[in-house]
Amino acid sequence: MAGRVITVTSGKGGVGKTTFSANVSAALAALGKKAVAVDTDVGLRNLDIVMGLENRIVYDLVDVVEGRCRLQKAIIRDKRIASLHMLPAAQTRDKSAVSPDAMAKICAELRSQFDFTIIDSPAGIESGFQNAIAGADEVVIVTTPHVSAIRDADRVIGLLEAAEKQQIFLVVNRLQAEMVRRGDMLDIPDILDILAVELLGIIPEDELIVVSSNRGELAALHAVSSAGQAYKNIARRLLGEDVPLMPMAEDKGLLKRLTRLFKSQ
Amino acid sequence: MGWLDTLMKHLSPGDQTQQSKQAAKERLKLALTYDRGGLAQGTIEQLRDEIIQVIAKHLTINKDEIEINFDRTSEQDKLIASIPLRMVPRSRSKAGAATTTAEPAPTRPSKKSSARQ
Repeated sequence: MAGRVITVTSGKGGVGKTTFSANVSAALAALGKKAVAVDTDVGLRNLDIVMGLENRIVYDLVDVVEGRCRLQKAIIRDKRIASLHMLPAAQTRDKSAVSPDAMAKICAELRSQFDFTIIDSPAGIESGFQNAIAGADEVVIVTTPHVSAIRDADRVIGLLEAAEKQQIFLVVNRLQAEMVRRGDMLDIPDILDILAVELLGIIPEDELIVVSSNRGELAALHAVSSAGQAYKNIARRLLGEDVPLMPMAEDKGLLKRLTRLFKSQ
Repeated sequence: MGWLDTLMKHLSPGDQTQQSKQAAKERLKLALTYDRGGLAQGTIEQLRDEIIQVIAKHLTINKDEIEINFDRTSEQDKLIASIPLRMVPRSRSKAGAATTTAEPAPTRPSKKSSARQ
């Protein structure tokens, strides 16, 4: 098997890399693909708790790198979806415990076993970032419509181009349709104009993301979440399907909601 | 709720809220220009002054109307300089000065000394 290794990165922290990695891995698994989400944020691991797998960790990435266990042993299999897996980062070590060469080797091994290896990278552009992109075939940059996140995304795009990564995609997270409509939030065309990379998807602001992560559940596996639907759409696009962007004009006004309620009956 | 929104918009002072994304875009573009080029702050201003000096040696230009911008497309980054020449005397169509520090343009092209600031 020659799977795809996709690194999820952003430069800025807190834009939703981990949530994205968890949910897109789950959505790909739900579509029947064998997927593994890899946490490379050594010292600040979080993918496990977002995915609800924090109690099942025995070995981690650094154990594999340092030869204390085989890769297979460190990978946790999700009980909710058979084809979903997770490789946790070490919590008691730092980024220097992993090297780009070691990551590239692990990625090569994962590529032979999984359809999709989704690598969640730490914030920043230092060694942790270099580790995370070392084995990547494709890179997804997660940004939000905020000036700080976009500026950092641009910096990351420059570094990825310097590292000769050819396949770079953009995901705009936490878009608020109402603010865009008012002209108080950068719109997708604005962001694409500034960053000049290919758009993979848009994820609307959705309170259910917080609720899901509170419970260690994955929004992409639940029907009602609009962000969850966006993750599912992104997974299908990764599989080569031509999925149109979700209509942005999601109006949360009471009147609009009532109108929709009546229309649907 | 459409009429209420419209009313609120008309009542809001100066319609400033409409512009915040525009401000974000413009500020980002300038910041990224510096980031991408690894430029020191003030490079564009310095560039502008030096371009004025060189051009003014040979041509009569209106320093107030010079605009220097960076533009990025997916293909390439571009430095775009718009330097209106003062060929025939005419009234200024707009006051789109890029900076306010420039002196009045020299009246004769050969007057080299006036190009030095």
